[in-house]
Amino acid sequence: MLSVESLSAGYGPVRALDEVSFEAADGEITAVLGANGAGKTTLLRTISGLVRATAGRVFLAGKDITGRSTEDLPGLGLAHVPEGRGVLAELTVEENLRLGALGGGRRATAEELSRVYGHFPVLEERRDGLAHVLSGGERQMLVIGRALLSRPKVLLLDEPSLGLAPKIVTRIFELLRTLVSSDGLTVVLVEQNARSALSIADRGVVLNLGRVVVRDDADALAGDDALRHAYLGF
Amino acid sequence: MQQLLTTVLTGLTLGMVYAAFALALVLIWRATRIVNFAQAPMAMITTYLALVLIDAGYSYWLGFAVALLSGLVLGAVVERFVVRHVEGKSEVNAVILTLGLFIVLHALAALIFGSRFRSFPAPFGLRGFQVGDTTIALTGFGVFTIVAVAVVLVGLVLLFRGTDLGLRMRASAVNQEVSRLLGVKVGRMLTLGWALAALVGSLSGLLIAGGGLVHPSYMDGVVVYGFVAAVLGGLDSPVGAVVGGVLLGLSLSLVSGYVGSELVPLAALVILMAVLLLKPGGLFAHVRERSV
Amino acid sequence: MTRRQLLLALGALVVVILVLENTGPFRNGQFAAMAYYAIAAGGLTVLTGLNGQLSLGHGALMAVGAYTAALMLQERDAALPLVLILLIATGVTLVVGALVGVAAARLHGPYLAGATLALAVAVPGIPLYFSETLGGEQGLRVRVPEIPTWLADAVYFVTGQDLTPTRYLAYLGWLGVIIVFVLLANLSRSRIGRIWQAVRDDEVAAELAGINLGRARVLAFVVSAGCAGLAGGLLALSARIAAPSGFTLTLSLLLLSAVVLGGLGSLVGALVGAALLTFLPQVVTGVGEDLGLTDVQAAQLAPLIYGLVTVLVVLLAPAGLAGGLRKLTQWRRST
Repeated sequence: MLSVESLSAGYGPVRALDEVSFEAADGEITAVLGANGAGKTTLLRTISGLVRATAGRVFLAGKDITGRSTEDLPGLGLAHVPEGRGVLAELTVEENLRLGALGGGRRATAEELSRVYGHFPVLEERRDGLAHVLSGGERQMLVIGRALLSRPKVLLLDEPSLGLAPKIVTRIFELLRTLVSSDGLTVVLVEQNARSALSIADRGVVLNLGRVVVRDDADALAGDDALRHAYLGF
Repeated sequence: MQQLLTTVLTGLTLGMVYAAFALALVLIWRATRIVNFAQAPMAMITTYLALVLIDAGYSYWLGFAVALLSGLVLGAVVERFVVRHVEGKSEVNAVILTLGLFIVLHALAALIFGSRFRSFPAPFGLRGFQVGDTTIALTGFGVFTIVAVAVVLVGLVLLFRGTDLGLRMRASAVNQEVSRLLGVKVGRMLTLGWALAALVGSLSGLLIAGGGLVHPSYMDGVVVYGFVAAVLGGLDSPVGAVVGGVLLGLSLSLVSGYVGSELVPLAALVILMAVLLLKPGGLFAHVRERSV
Repeated sequence: MTRRQLLLALGALVVVILVLENTGPFRNGQFAAMAYYAIAAGGLTVLTGLNGQLSLGHGALMAVGAYTAALMLQERDAALPLVLILLIATGVTLVVGALVGVAAARLHGPYLAGATLALAVAVPGIPLYFSETLGGEQGLRVRVPEIPTWLADAVYFVTGQDLTPTRYLAYLGWLGVIIVFVLLANLSRSRIGRIWQAVRDDEVAAELAGINLGRARVLAFVVSAGCAGLAGGLLALSARIAAPSGFTLTLSLLLLSAVVLGGLGSLVGALVGAALLTFLPQVVTGVGEDLGLTDVQAAQLAPLIYGLVTVLVVLLAPAGLAGGLRKLTQWRRST
């Protein structure tokens, strides 16, 4: 569903991404892992056009989206939940959600909103309140719900577990797994917390210094002790 | 007692106009983090356009409409082609840019329309209403002023709170990058924001001119008062801009009536410094978080 | 003061003498104006360029200096020597500058701009209100004292020409420019100058390094205010009047744009800006009249050009003209 071919990007003389290639298949969770500064966030930002690619291509459902404006991508089926979550704190919870739907090209229907509230009941309680009162875990739920409302084919998630208690991380990751199974969503999950990520992922890509070190099934990566110690920190 | 009533009514009417100008400043500040000091000469020019039409024999209302429309266009053009280049960069550059625009627009107006003082009509009359034996200081034009600003405010509230477009504009003002990720065409929202702000600014230009004299510098004081009103209410708060405008109008009217009109700008300065040193966020300061 | 600076100052003095002695009263008057613009611009460029504080109110500070000098020059036979009067005008403006600076030190970017804008609009109203003492709308006439005989003799001895009053004021002004610029140059190069730049570039780092932000900012403001006050005093002498109409908002804005055009932080740029402010209007107005504009209309061409060039400079060469030229020479040297 998402195909990245020899993607390179840099900030000035620094090569943040160096010919990165991988595929995220339909209905699978692909984890992108690596140490701090390995280029994981840059990868997502380049895919969604916030950073200009200096070389390479990105294909979404077979369509070349390299170089397209960021704001066109939700309409094409790409949803990106950025580093730091990207909650629009001065808008209400429901307004955040509605924006997600608008990005996908249509207003949110009542049923669609209900479905999201069904996944995250705590959001329904606070639907008319400003988003900035939400806790970290609630914010993460909000931005995932918001992304889902744009009816994406591919969901990019940047470090969703950051700053969250382990119990909440587990809940969110389980939810992701469910959504992927039920909706056929393709997820690209960037994570520092490699252990948790690999526990729900199907495939894994490990980056180091902007380059792909290894691509393999998640189980294989989790089982490779040497690799884990070298690049994943556990 | 009579004088107090007069002062209050004058202050209220004037305050609504300052509120409109302050609102224009706040709209632009929220969207692009720039204080558009050039808003004053922009409003002055659109008022001159109306004056040209009116002097040529056309109705006031046509001039009124033309002024508002040209404000819309002018705001959009200035954002898209001039200010766009400094958005998000150094504050100093943005201020200097708006000041450069200030000077250019002033000179253009003097060049094209001349520097002499010209009178501008005021619809609905400038005579105070009769209540029994006394004439109170509220004129037909004063009522029109208050109503016009109120209508614009309501319109803006409906736009921002009740429409998808308004939602997108508010999102762009909160966080541009996240909004882009949500499919919002941020550039267009910013242009629209400036256009609307300039529309509101044009309205205040027309209302200040009504019944008075128009000349290239006539709006210069208003930019200061509008700024003070905006700061008083909190630069981020549209409601604050309105409240700040009315409060400032009342205060300055009191100073003008009981002390002297020459010291009104000084009073504005004192109020500004008091707010900035005591409650810098303004009366309606709220937690300003830019997304987490 | 370094040896290089001393040589430059002496060289400048020689140039000043040569130019002033070989031009007539009209040009002398223009040079006198350029001198006080240069002094005001010098102070402002240090404040805005080095310390990053934007002031739209320096015209108002010039008014303070002008009115102070004017108040002391109401009688023909002024008791105090001119230099002392100018020093007092500078001193009073220094104090006002300290007051404004203390308030301004807490403000940033547009807030500071707006506050100084309010100052620029507020100050002209004061002489209107206190019209008996401060002359109201007509302003205060300034009686320029007689040229001291010893000076007239000395000048005649050196140059063989009489010292006209206009030339006298021009000399006074340019002497002021040389002294002030040497002072400003030394300040900029000193520890204080580096502190100012540190505060401009990164407040947090500066504070962590032990710099008292408020004190540094107030000092920069005071220095620039002093320059404005001196300039105002000289202006009052040259124009022979101190009136509200001489200190409009436009003056403050033109001063700032002159500094921007010359290049923020550059003293040479301040001179360039002052030259533009003084000489451009006449040139441009002439062109305008040739093109068929009325004289009133042609007078608007100069501010129009300043404004346009300021806008263009911000968009294309944020370092200002002098900075842009410097970049250009650097680029040419490297290719």
